[in-house]
Amino acid sequence: MNNGDQPAIPRIWVLIEQQEQQVHPVSWELLGAARRLAADLPGSIVEAVLPGYQVESLAAQVFRYGAERVYLIDESVLAPYRNLPYAVAVSQLVITYQPEIFLIGATTRGRDLAGAIATRVGTGLTADCTELAIDPAGKILAATRPTFGGNLMATILCRRHRPQMATVRPRVLPMPAPLDTGPGDLVRVPFAMCEDDVPVKRLRLIRAEERPNIEYADVIVAGGRGVGGPEGFVLLEELALALGGMVGASRPVVDAGWIDPGHQIGQTGKTVRPKLYIAAGISGAVQHRVGMSGAGVILAINSDPHAPIFQIADLGIVGDLFDVIPEMIRQVKGYSDARQAQL
Amino acid sequence: MHAIVAIKQVPDTSNVRIDPETGTLIREGVPAIINPYDIHAVEAAVQLKEQFGGRVTVITMGPPKAAEALIECIEQGADRAILLTDRKFGGADTLATSYVLAHAIEALNAEWPADIILFGKQAIDGDTAQVGPGVAVRLQIPLITYAIAIESFDPVARTAVVHRRIEQGVEVLQTRLPVLLTVEKEIAPVRRAPLPRMITAARYQPEVWTAETPVAFDPRQIGLKGSPTVVGKAYTPAPRAGGAIVTVADCGVEAAVARALEVMGILDTVRSSVAASAGVEVA
Amino acid sequence: MPDRLSYDAIVVGGGPAGTAAALVMARGGLSVIQIERGRFAGAKNIFGGVFYTHALADVLPDYWERKPPFERPVTEQGYWMLSPDSALRIMHKSEQYRQEPAGAYTVLRARFDPWFAAQAVEAGALLITRTTVTRLLKDARGFVIGVDTDRPDGQVYAPIVIIAEGVNNLLTRQAGLIASDLPPRYVALSVKEYLSMPPKELQARFGLAGPREGVAIDIFGDATLGLPGTAFLYTDQAGISIGVGMLLEEFVCHRLRPYDVLARFKNHPVIRPYLEGSESREYGAHLIPEMGYDRMPRLAGNGVMVAGDAAGMVDALHREGTNLAIIAGKAAAETALAAHEQGDFSAAFLSRYRRDLEASFVLKDMKQYRHMTDFLDSTPGFMGTYANLLNDAALRYFTAHGIPKRSMEREIVSLLRERRSFTGIAWDMLKLMRAMRG
Ligand SMILES: Cc1cc2nc3c(=O)[nH]c(=O)nc-3n(C[C@H](O)[C@H](O)[C@H](O)COP(=O)(O)OP(=O)(O)OC[C@H]3O[C@@H](n4cnc5c(N)ncnc54)[C@H](O)[C@@H]3O)c2cc1C
Ligand SMILES: Cc1cc2nc3c(=O)[nH]c(=O)nc-3n(C[C@H](O)[C@H](O)[C@H](O)COP(=O)(O)OP(=O)(O)OC[C@H]3O[C@@H](n4cnc5c(N)ncnc54)[C@H](O)[C@@H]3O)c2cc1C
Ligand SMILES: Nc1ncnc2c1ncn2[C@@H]1O[C@H](COP(=O)(O)O)[C@@H](O)[C@H]1O
Repeated sequence: MNNGDQPAIPRIWVLIEQQEQQVHPVSWELLGAARRLAADLPGSIVEAVLPGYQVESLAAQVFRYGAERVYLIDESVLAPYRNLPYAVAVSQLVITYQPEIFLIGATTRGRDLAGAIATRVGTGLTADCTELAIDPAGKILAATRPTFGGNLMATILCRRHRPQMATVRPRVLPMPAPLDTGPGDLVRVPFAMCEDDVPVKRLRLIRAEERPNIEYADVIVAGGRGVGGPEGFVLLEELALALGGMVGASRPVVDAGWIDPGHQIGQTGKTVRPKLYIAAGISGAVQHRVGMSGAGVILAINSDPHAPIFQIADLGIVGDLFDVIPEMIRQVKGYSDARQAQL
Repeated sequence: MHAIVAIKQVPDTSNVRIDPETGTLIREGVPAIINPYDIHAVEAAVQLKEQFGGRVTVITMGPPKAAEALIECIEQGADRAILLTDRKFGGADTLATSYVLAHAIEALNAEWPADIILFGKQAIDGDTAQVGPGVAVRLQIPLITYAIAIESFDPVARTAVVHRRIEQGVEVLQTRLPVLLTVEKEIAPVRRAPLPRMITAARYQPEVWTAETPVAFDPRQIGLKGSPTVVGKAYTPAPRAGGAIVTVADCGVEAAVARALEVMGILDTVRSSVAASAGVEVA
Repeated sequence: MPDRLSYDAIVVGGGPAGTAAALVMARGGLSVIQIERGRFAGAKNIFGGVFYTHALADVLPDYWERKPPFERPVTEQGYWMLSPDSALRIMHKSEQYRQEPAGAYTVLRARFDPWFAAQAVEAGALLITRTTVTRLLKDARGFVIGVDTDRPDGQVYAPIVIIAEGVNNLLTRQAGLIASDLPPRYVALSVKEYLSMPPKELQARFGLAGPREGVAIDIFGDATLGLPGTAFLYTDQAGISIGVGMLLEEFVCHRLRPYDVLARFKNHPVIRPYLEGSESREYGAHLIPEMGYDRMPRLAGNGVMVAGDAAGMVDALHREGTNLAIIAGKAAAETALAAHEQGDFSAAFLSRYRRDLEASFVLKDMKQYRHMTDFLDSTPGFMGTYANLLNDAALRYFTAHGIPKRSMEREIVSLLRERRSFTGIAWDMLKLMRAMRG
């Protein structure tokens, strides 16, 4: 397409992930990132790819989060997600429009899809980035990601191949505010693949019970091995409730079965960025920190003054959590009762 | 039935240390292990073999030392192991890795077409989860990632039903064979290898394949040359700076908590949540 | 039983004793299976660090060509006596130590043991790792005929089993070769840390001219809070091996935690500067059997022999163990070869293993130092008293006080008297001499 005399417009693409007419918030986070990248990449524009079935109504929201153009691929073969039709549809679009950068959420689906697209179009893909920037020298994407269990950060460049692809985990990037702009350019993209061409059929979905979506909680009270057992989490639950937040956990306590895996925060759990993170009885291993160091403020409670968690906490209380947490519940409740009476 | 499993030897990341001065990884002394998901993939393949007969072939691309990981697969019940090792393969990113593995699998398919190809869900040294999907694309076979169970498998009718974990729950998918799965640990609990297998494995020598023999790989698609991505720089993450410390032993628990609530603005949080539940806007 | 696993010999353990036994038997043409519980041979084996090559040469005459992973030759060695703030050093350096291969090298077991085991595998032994031998299998006559392991279908059979399981001698006890567990007064507990340091820096600190020089220092006195025990400081290729060891009983009696003792030692004003800036790489504790000659187990039973630490073959005074283990492993292997030739695996036949060891330095040395542990045990103040004394005396001696030398000498003598009566000293020395002479 862009092999005329005119220099190509650098397009920054974001894949919009939707499930049952709900857009995954990571897509908005990526649009926010795309806009920041566009500011550093002269002449570039932010565009979105929206594959699915009966999803046109979502386009309006996509525009509000800053996409100037939306490519809508709306076909029944895309109704339940399957790798092949999605990968083929999106790859064809990539080959047609040759975007400069392509961002995808590192969700289960995003990871399934991104590797397949990158291989189809023969380009590089950097997974699970925590930071995206435009390298000022080469005007290319500098995608930074943790490796070796979060012990090392590596900035990955894709010099000659396009698009430069990256996936980013939910909540690693801040949630942008929607803009007040009107609708942009909606491009309907035809896609001809019929159900018979898809080798994988979805027989059924066994729904998990609604797991707590801790990723988007504003307040998290997290407990680690120092909590001592499942009973300790009852205490944390009480504090979380008083603060209008949710309970989080380190891996060993999940492994020990003190609390459900859905609560695990860290490298192999969830990434969170609450306004307030209270870490009680958590030592602060690097694998835990990578999941929560984006929090607004961090309060650590630990009996060991040398616990590494204090190195990243905005405030540390050195003491026994079984003294501190009940007192905190008492003071918070006292305050909220007083407020309630006032109102 | 022929199952092919791709496995990787990785440094045990729970043991990785960083040189504080250079910010680089100290690999020396870090034990190398088989990628934890991959051994479950081997186990799943071995269980299929026990049910349907046939063969399990494991392959890896890596340094000569990676033979150790292959031997471990033989212990777990694999029949044949292939080590793709050559300096020319070095420096591969996921695109180049998926090319090499796919090309090797094609060669194996020519001898005995695989009914199922298994990968781990991700390698713990890079956590990319890209190589499996990449190989499925190259082989043009169906892909099911994050598989947690094989409900049924029919090498004659050439179909299988596979459970896959997604955010909303578990998807039950029917697929044509051959299929490529990337697996979670639940796919099959790893059994302790029996002593006779240990003995077989101790004497086993993996087949070594280079970039030229017995299969020729396209030199432009392997190693550094075949890799679109490069590492620009690597560094240790800058720690978030720590703040003040209050010690309960010094000031008492009541004062410590009061201080924390104040400094952290926790009461503001409470204020807004109380207000919200009372339906009041907070300025 | 058609497909039961059968070999000519089974070796339990992948330490120096086990590997020497496997190597010699494999070379002698036996089919040998060697079973090691660690991830690899040596995975969890730690020791102080001085390895003596004479024993290795005995089983592997061409070991030097096989590039053993030695750290540094020991070209200087000796003792430091520590008081709380000083050290008296007696070091020996000699051109004699500088020939290659040297008589002693520092070694890290996690590197050395796998190399040594690989030599046995090359000779034809079958090494099975990550597998623990859980018990001995015996026939109706009580002959050991094999072992069971912690794996499914885990039984292996052989007319001869060589136990080289190290200090935790569960199988040795099960074989009935020793009556009971070692009492805490005959086991030392040692903690060791390996600290890495760039070779250049290391060489500068220890006054070494290059990678072909190294020091081995054994340290007494304040290192173990004056209690019976020793500490060590050895230079490796790019690091330091440091550790302290005391009888288990001392730790228990004085409620000391081994890691605290090591931390205290590392912090000693004389020691600390040597370690500054190094990085801790490996940390571990290990027991040393110090039961001595008189409490050793029987070395052979029907179908079974025991070698190395499992048999208490350690010369604690000279920090020798690996060499005794290798020589014993070899002697047991030679007996096994002879037993196969004769088709006789009875305890009576296998007793020639002990006779061979009696003739070698292994049991000769063991015999000579048979009273050493008892001596230290009955003279608990020995180490602390004399180390402090020597340091105080040295301080007086080397400081110019402006007082006549004669009165200084008197002062030193009275220092001595304050801490121990003359008869006490004489008695200590006498006991020490006796313990040394055996
Ligand atoms: C590949 C890999 C992935 C991993 N992924 C994750 C992950 O996703 N998430 C994760 O969390 N971990 C993860 N880990 C594990 C991580 O390395 C740590 O082991 C873990 O985070 C430690 O959990 P903890 O802080 O609860 O336990 P510990 O490290 O045991 O800390 C307990 C703390 O509680 C304190 N304490 C004890 N009693 C009290 C008391 N009464 N009052 C106050 N304080 C008390 C102690 O001083 C201590 O600091 C991973 C590890 C690996 C190797
Ligand atoms: C701190 C310290 C410092 C020392 N310093 C020196 C020194 O400087 N020089 C020196 O020469 N000696 C030294 N020694 C002594 C020396 O380490 C030992 O004497 C020597 O290692 C004994 O060798 P071994 O083969 O008998 O036992 P080990 O080396 O202990 O080997 C026993 C092996 O058997 C395995 N094993 C045990 N039970 C089983 C089972 N049931 N199934 C399968 N495998 C099993 C173990 O994993 C181990 O690998 C030191 C010891 C210590 C602890
Ligand atoms: N070099 C390799 N050789 C063989 N298999 C590999 C290799 N790299 C990755 N894999 C497989 O691909 C899976 C995912 O790896 P990754 O995409 O690197 O996270 C692993 O679990 C392995 O099954």
